[in-house]
Amino acid sequence: MVECEVRVVNRLGLHARAAAKLVRTASGFQSAVRIERADRAGAADAKSILSVLVLAAARGTELKVTADGADERAALEAVRGLFTSGFGESDE
Amino acid sequence: MPEKNDGGGRVGGVVVSHGQVANELLAAAETIIGAVKHITAVSIGWHDDVEAATGEIERAVGRVSEGCGVLLLTDMMGGTPTNIASMFLRPGEVEVVTGVNLPMVIELATQPAGKSLAEVARLVRDKGQRHIYLAGEMLAGGARKSS
Repeated sequence: MVECEVRVVNRLGLHARAAAKLVRTASGFQSAVRIERADRAGAADAKSILSVLVLAAARGTELKVTADGADERAALEAVRGLFTSGFGESDE
Repeated sequence: MPEKNDGGGRVGGVVVSHGQVANELLAAAETIIGAVKHITAVSIGWHDDVEAATGEIERAVGRVSEGCGVLLLTDMMGGTPTNIASMFLRPGEVEVVTGVNLPMVIELATQPAGKSLAEVARLVRDKGQRHIYLAGEMLAGGARKSS
């Protein structure tokens, strides 16, 4: 299992369409991918959009991402990339 | 129609509501998760007659059926959309869940593979109920665990 910490940087937070993008990305890997709030207030299966939305992760929220499985490193990097790029959203 | 879904198809869905709510709920779900081919919407006009609405639901069920059953998601228990939809109830073939909300449409759209109509119906009901939060209570620090 591998893990990393990320922060939500895009203005709208982990909203519905960003969550959908995260789920599409995570679902492309065999590994189980989980997202947990650093404040321990919630944890989600990154392959379930409804699960991710309940994290209610606004901009600035610190999260821990864990991936477990054959392609865990690639999965972790892909998910980390989404967060660091702000899900490709411009901040206008 | 088989009770257990093992043919690779999905449980179809029809969102049925007063006014345009059904169309707009489905449109919102598709904006978030992309095109959803196995769910359609029937909006029952305030002045439509029951026969016309019944025919529309019947055609909608035919459009979305993949042979694994169809779930009718209606807006409100006791309302005309629910009452008409309930005429289609057939164990293993058509089920009705009332009180539709956006999480329920998304859950039906992204349903796990290989579930029976009855299983998907319970999942959709449970997700719909679990996704109603009092935001003020969450701010107060209630722990949220989800899978």
